[in-house]
Amino acid sequence: MESNWAAEQLQTIRTLMERSAVYRRALAPIMLFAGLTGLVTMGLGLCLDINSGRGFCGLWLGAAAVAVTGAFLLARRQAIKDREPFWSPPTRRVTQALLPPLLAGLSLGLLLLVFGHGIELAASLIWILFYGCALHAAGFFMPRGIKWFGWIFILSACGLFYAFMLHWFDFEVNPHELMGFFFGVLHLAYGAYLYLTEKGKNAA
Amino acid sequence: MNPEPFLQLDRVIHEKGRLAIMSMLAASPELSFTELRDALTMTDGNLTTHIRALQQEGYISVAKSYQNNRPLTTCSLTPAGRKAFAEYINLLEQIIRQTRSK
Repeated sequence: MESNWAAEQLQTIRTLMERSAVYRRALAPIMLFAGLTGLVTMGLGLCLDINSGRGFCGLWLGAAAVAVTGAFLLARRQAIKDREPFWSPPTRRVTQALLPPLLAGLSLGLLLLVFGHGIELAASLIWILFYGCALHAAGFFMPRGIKWFGWIFILSACGLFYAFMLHWFDFEVNPHELMGFFFGVLHLAYGAYLYLTEKGKNAA
Repeated sequence: MNPEPFLQLDRVIHEKGRLAIMSMLAASPELSFTELRDALTMTDGNLTTHIRALQQEGYISVAKSYQNNRPLTTCSLTPAGRKAFAEYINLLEQIIRQTRSK
C-alpha cells in the first residue's frame, strides 16, 4: 500500500520535473543569425536573378541548412560555455517538436527541386506555414513568445494564400522578397527584441 | 515494515502543493511566479502561501525584479532546499525498496 503510494508520488514528481524543464538557451543570437542568413539569401537570389524553380528551391534549402547548422553550433557553444549538457531533455523535446513540420517542408522542397517550376510563390507560402507550425509546436517547451512568433507565420501564410488566390494585390510579389521578409526581416526584428529583453544567463 | 523512513519525510515538502512547487523548481534554475501558477493551476493566494512557507523554511529564495517595466517575481531552490528535496526522494525510494523486499 505504502509502496504504491510512494511510487505514485515519485511518478508525480518526475512528471512535474519534466514539465518544468523549459528550453531556456538565449535565442537572440540564433534568431539574429537566422535573420542575417535570410537577408543574405534574398540578396543573392535577387542579385543573381535566380528565377527557376530548381534554383529557387536549391538556394533556400541551402540557406535553411546554413541556418540550422548555425543554430546548432550557437546552442552548443552556449552549453559548453555554461558547462551544461547540450543534448538535455528540453533540447530533445524542442527538437522532437520541430522535426515533423521541418521534415515536411524539406520533402516538399526536394520534390520541387526535382520537378517544380513556376510554383515558387506557393512553395514559399507552404514553407512559411510549415515553419510557423514548427515554431508553435516547439513553443510548448520554450518561453511563451515563440508560440506567438509561430502564429505570425501561420496566420500570414494563410492570409497570403487567400490574397494571392483572389488576386487582392495588383502588383507582382517576388518569392525571394517574400522569403527574405519572413525568414530575414522578421527574425532580425525578433532577435533584436530578444536581445533587449532576454536575461543574460540561460540554461536548457 | 520499518516505519522510520515514512516518519522521517519532511512535513513541509510533503504537502501536495509545496511538493509540486519543489519538483518544478528542482528541474529548472528558476521559475517565475506566473509560470508556477499557470503550470500548477493554483490561485495567486494559494501559491503565495505555499511559497512563503517554503521560503520561511529556507528551501526557496524569491527575487523581485522588473522585466519590460513589469514586476517579475522569480523563485529558485536554495542549496538547503535542494538537499531537503533530494532527501525526500531518497526516503520515498527507501520506502519502495523496503516494501518490495518483504
